[in-house]
Amino acid sequence: MLRRTTRLLLALALVAAMSGFAAAQAPKYGGIWYDALPSNPPHLDPVFSTDTTSAEVEYQIFETLLEYAPDGTLQPLLAESYEVSEDGLTFTFHLRRGVHFHATTEGGTPTANGGREVTAHDWVWTFNYITDPKTNSPRAYFVDMIKGYEEYRNGEADHLAGVRALDDYTLQIEITYPFAPFVQVLAYNTFSVLPREDVEKWGTADFNFHPVGTGPFKFEEWRQDDVIRLSRNENYWMKDEDGNQLPYLDGIEFRIIPGGGATEWAEYQLGNIYATRVDDPYYRQVTAGKETEIRPGVRTVETQHGVFWEGPQPGVYYYGFNVEKITDKRVRQALNYAINREALINLVINGRALPATGILPPSIPGFNPDLEGYTYNPAKARELLAEAGYGPDNPLELTLQYNTDPGHQRIAEAIQAQLKAVGVNLSLREVEWGTHLDTTERGEVPFFRLGWVADYLDADNFLYVLLHSDNIGPEGNYSRFNNPTFDMLTKAARLSTDEEERIRLYREAEKIAVEEAPWLFIYFYTDHNLVKPFVRNYDLPAFGQYSNKFRNVWLDL
Amino acid sequence: MARYALRRIVEAIPVFLGVVLVVFLLYSVVPGDPARLLAGQRGDPETIARIRADWGLDRPLHEQFFSFVWSAIRFDLGRSYRNNMDVLDAILLRVPATLELVVASLLLGGVVGISVGIISAVRQNTFLDYLAMTGAVIGISAPTFWIGLLLILVFALKLGWIPGMGYGDGRWIYLVLPAVTLATRPMALLARITRSAMLETIRQDYIRTARAKGLSEWAVTVKHALRNALIPVVTILGTETAAMLGGVVVTETVFAWPGLGRLFVEALTFRDYPIIRGQVLFLATVFIVANLIVDLSYALFDPRIRYE
Amino acid sequence: MHASVEAVAATATPEVVPGRSLWSDARRRFFRNKLAVLGLIIVVGLVLVAIFAPYIAPYDPLEQLAWEDFSKSLAPPSWEHPFGTDLYGRDIFSRVIYGTRISLSIALMAAVVTTAIGITLGALAGYFGGWVDSFITWLINVVWSFPFLLFVLAIITIFPEASLTIIFIAIGVVSWPDIARMTRGQFLAARENEYVEAAKAIGASDFIIIFRHILPNIIAPMLVQATLAMGSYIQLEASLSFLGFGVPPPTPSWGRMASEGQNYLFSGQWWWSIMPGIAIMVTVLGFNLLGDGLRDALDVRQQTDG
Repeated sequence: MLRRTTRLLLALALVAAMSGFAAAQAPKYGGIWYDALPSNPPHLDPVFSTDTTSAEVEYQIFETLLEYAPDGTLQPLLAESYEVSEDGLTFTFHLRRGVHFHATTEGGTPTANGGREVTAHDWVWTFNYITDPKTNSPRAYFVDMIKGYEEYRNGEADHLAGVRALDDYTLQIEITYPFAPFVQVLAYNTFSVLPREDVEKWGTADFNFHPVGTGPFKFEEWRQDDVIRLSRNENYWMKDEDGNQLPYLDGIEFRIIPGGGATEWAEYQLGNIYATRVDDPYYRQVTAGKETEIRPGVRTVETQHGVFWEGPQPGVYYYGFNVEKITDKRVRQALNYAINREALINLVINGRALPATGILPPSIPGFNPDLEGYTYNPAKARELLAEAGYGPDNPLELTLQYNTDPGHQRIAEAIQAQLKAVGVNLSLREVEWGTHLDTTERGEVPFFRLGWVADYLDADNFLYVLLHSDNIGPEGNYSRFNNPTFDMLTKAARLSTDEEERIRLYREAEKIAVEEAPWLFIYFYTDHNLVKPFVRNYDLPAFGQYSNKFRNVWLDL
Repeated sequence: MARYALRRIVEAIPVFLGVVLVVFLLYSVVPGDPARLLAGQRGDPETIARIRADWGLDRPLHEQFFSFVWSAIRFDLGRSYRNNMDVLDAILLRVPATLELVVASLLLGGVVGISVGIISAVRQNTFLDYLAMTGAVIGISAPTFWIGLLLILVFALKLGWIPGMGYGDGRWIYLVLPAVTLATRPMALLARITRSAMLETIRQDYIRTARAKGLSEWAVTVKHALRNALIPVVTILGTETAAMLGGVVVTETVFAWPGLGRLFVEALTFRDYPIIRGQVLFLATVFIVANLIVDLSYALFDPRIRYE
Repeated sequence: MHASVEAVAATATPEVVPGRSLWSDARRRFFRNKLAVLGLIIVVGLVLVAIFAPYIAPYDPLEQLAWEDFSKSLAPPSWEHPFGTDLYGRDIFSRVIYGTRISLSIALMAAVVTTAIGITLGALAGYFGGWVDSFITWLINVVWSFPFLLFVLAIITIFPEASLTIIFIAIGVVSWPDIARMTRGQFLAARENEYVEAAKAIGASDFIIIFRHILPNIIAPMLVQATLAMGSYIQLEASLSFLGFGVPPPTPSWGRMASEGQNYLFSGQWWWSIMPGIAIMVTVLGFNLLGDGLRDALDVRQQTDG
C-alpha cells in the first residue's frame, strides 16, 4: 500500500531525472513527427483493437489509469496514486485533477463532450461500456475478474457491480480473487477513458473513425491506406519538468506504407519519415557506427543514417509442438538440442535476438538467468531420436506450419536446414494467419510457429496463458500442454500477492515446461527503431516501438 | 444502334447475376474464421461466438446468400469485418486514387505507345525502330514489382527527382512513378500493335492510291493508315484497362498508393468477406459497363461492323 | 466484345483446306523471321536447361553453405558463384537453373489446364448450340467480367495453403474463356462451311468432321494463344510471389527469389533479386517472340495479346 505508492514515486523521480539528463538543450516547440505504419490500422478505437499497428496510434490519442515507463516500471498516468486492500481484492485509484477530454477534433470541430474534465464517473461508464455484452469488445475478458462481470455479461445485472465512483476523483474497483497483475492489465490500451457523449454521438461502429480521448494529440484525419493525421492537444494536462506545456510537437503524421521493407526504407532515406523499422538488409549499415549509451539496457548507435535504438522486447518466438500429436518427450527434446540458436540468430536476423533458454524473456519479473535450457548438441539430438526409434533408415518426417511472412520464412528455411543435419526431414507449410490460428487452435497441426509478446509485464501472461490446461485452444495454450503440477504452480502464483513467492512458483513451473519441451524454444525478441539525428527525447519503450508516446519528443530542426 | 445498345444492356443482366453468385460462393467455402481473426491470437470463445452471430455467419448458407443479394440490390454491401466501415464507402474512398492512376497510365501508355508505334512503322527497320521495339519487348517481359522497385532506386534514391512514395496529398509528381510502372505494359503492347497495324494498312491498295493522288506522306499516315489501325488499338486499350485493374494491386503495394488494389490484398489476408465480395462485384460491374462502351465504340470506328 | 471476336474469328478461317501445304508454308515463313527463330532458340534452350538442371547446376539449389562458412552469405557474383549467393549461402545460379523447372511447369500446366477447359467448353457450346451454348456463353461472360489478377488471387486464397498445383489450376480456371470463345467461333463457322456440309452429306460421322475439319483450324490460333499466354503466366507467378501468395519455400521459383531479394536491392546485394528477374525477362521474351513468330507464320489474326 504505502510500499507501492513509494515505488511509483521513485519511478517517477527516476524518469524525471533521466529526461532531464537527455534534455541538455531547451526544447523547441513545433514541427510534425512523420512516422510509418506497416498497414492500414483496423481500429483507432481502443475498445476494439487487438493489434500493435492500431495501438501505436491509439497511444497518442487515449490514456489509461497507469502506464509503463520506458524501463518497464509501472507509473501513474491519469491516476495519481492507488492503494490495494490487505486482501488484494479492492483497488482505490486517486484520479488526477484537471484532465480534460479533447475539446476540438478534425479541423477544429467542437467535440460532443465540449472538452470537459474527466471524473471517476467517466471511468465507471467506460468500464461498463467495454464489458457490455452488446459492445462485444474482444478485450473485455482481460478484466473478467472484476466483481459482477459474469452477471453483467449474462444479463442478470444491468451494470458492472465492481466498479464504483467514491467521489469525482476517487475510483474503486473490486475483483473476485486476488490477481496480482491486475493493475498492470489496467495499463493495457483497451482500458482508456472515453467521452460518453462522443461515443454515443457516433455510435459504436463509427467512433472508430472519429476517436476522441484525453491524450497529448487529437485526431484530425484518417485517409484510408494513406495517412493518419493528429494535431497537438493544446489543453493537455501534462507539463515537462520545467513547467513547459506538453506536447512540443504540432502534430503527428502516420504514413501507411505496406509491408515495411524496401518502400519504407526509401521513404526514410528521402527524409519523408523520421523513424523507420530496419529490415535485415539494412541492419549492417545502421549499426556500423558509434555506440552511445543514452539509457542503460538499450543499445544506441549513431551513424549517418541517424540513431539506431535496440532493446529487449518482452516476447518469445517459438515453434509449438501439439503434445497430443507429438507425444514422445524425447523427440521434442531432440529437436531442441538439434538447433543452433546462436548461429541461426546471427545468420538470419543479424544477431538481433537472444537465444531462448525457456519461456520467460529477460524483461519479465521471474526471468531465470540460471536456467540453461537447451544448447546446441547434435549428438545428443541423434541419440534421443534413436531412443525414440528414429534413425537413418526411419527418419523423422515432420511438417511445420507457419503464417505467411518473409521473416518467418527466413527462420523456417534455416531451421529446416539445421534439422536436416540430424536426419529430420522438415517440410514447410505456409498458410495465412486466419487459417493458421484456426487449424492450430483446433489441435490439427502437430508443429507450428507462434510468437508471444506480453500484454502486461508479468509471468502470468506467459506461463498461465500459454501453457495452463485451462487455456487449451484459442485462449492461448495451442500446444495443448497439460501438466497437473505445472497447472497447480501457475494457478497458485496467480492467486498469491507475495511477489517473492510468486517468482519462486513461476520459476519452478518454468523448469517443468522446459523439461517437458512443449515448444521448440527459439529466441527472445528485441525491438528497434531508427530515428533521424535531429529527433530529441526519443526513447524505445519497454514493450517495443509500437507503444511509444510522443508527448515528450521534439525536433531540433 | 440504340436498339443494339438496349439489347446489350438487357444481355448484361444475367451476366451480372452470375457474377453475384460466383462472388458469393467463392467466399462461402473458404476455411478460416474472420471472427477468430478479429479476436486476436488470444481470443475469448464467448466473444468470438458473439461476433459470429452479429455477422450472421452462424446462419445457413442460402439465408446468407439471399440476404447478400437483397442488400446488394439496394446498394448495401454490408460492413467490413475488419474495421466496421460501410463497404461501399470503403470502396468509393479508394476509387479516386486508383482512377487517377489508371487514367494517367492509360494516357501515358496510349500517347507514348501509339506515337512510338507510328514512328517505328514510318521508319521501319531503322535504328529508331529497333530501339523502340527492344524497349517494348523489355516492357512486356519484366515483372511489374521489379520495374517499380528499380524506378524507385534510380529516380528517387539515386537521382532524387521524385520526392517520395505514397499519395502525396494528390501532388502530380507522386503519380509519376506508379503511372510509369503501370503504363509499361500497355505502352509496350500498344507500340507493337500500332506498328504492325500501321504497316499492314500502309501496304494496302487504298493507301497506294492516296499516295498516287499526291497526298503528302503525313496526310496519308494520319488520315488513312492511322484511322484504320485504330481498331486493334482500341481493342487493346479495352483489354488492357481490364488487365490494369489487376496490375494496380502490385503497383499500389510497391508505391504505398491508397487505392483499390491495396484494399483488396488487405481484405484477402484478413478474410474480410464483405470487402472482397463488394470489391469484386464493384469491379465486375465497372468492367461490364466498360465493355458495353467499347462494343458500342466499335460501331463508330469501323463502319464495316454491323449489328442487327 | 462479342462482335469483334466473331469478326476476327471469321477472318481467321483460312480459305484453303488446311493441310500439308499450309504447315510447310508456315514453316518457311517462320524460319525466315529472325526474331521468331531467336524465340524458338530461347524456349528450346530453357526446356533443355530444365531437363538437364542437375547436370548444369554446380550446387544443390537447397544447400545452405553459410552455416559452414559465414562469408558465403550474400556473397557477390564470382567465378565460384556466378550469380552470387543468397542469405543462407545458397548458390543463386543453381537456384535459377532449377527455377527453370518450376517456372516452365507453372506456365505449361497453366496453359494445358486453360486449353483443356477452353476447348471442351467451347466445343460443347459450338457443337450443341441451343441452351448449352447459351449457358456456356453466359459462363464465359461471367468469368470474363472479373478482373484477372483479382480473380486468381481470390481463388488461390480459397485454399488454406498455396502450392504449384493450386496456382496453375487457379490460372486455368480464370483464363479459359479466350480459348473457349475461339473454339466456339470455329465450330459456328464450320457449320456454315460448304465442305463440312458436303462431308455430312456423304455420311461422315461427327467425330470425323470434328477431327478432320474443325480441329485443324483451331490448332494454329490456339498454339499462338498458348505460347503468348505462357509468357504472361510466368510474370503472373512473380506478381503472386511478391504479394505473398506464391509457391511455398524452399522451392526455387524465380518469382519467389526475385521478391525475397527485393529488400536487398536497396542495400547493395542486388544479385539476389536481379538474377532471377533477368531469367523471368528472358523467358517471357522467348515465349513472346516465339508466339509472335508463330502468329505471323500461321497467319492468325489475333486480338487478344495476353
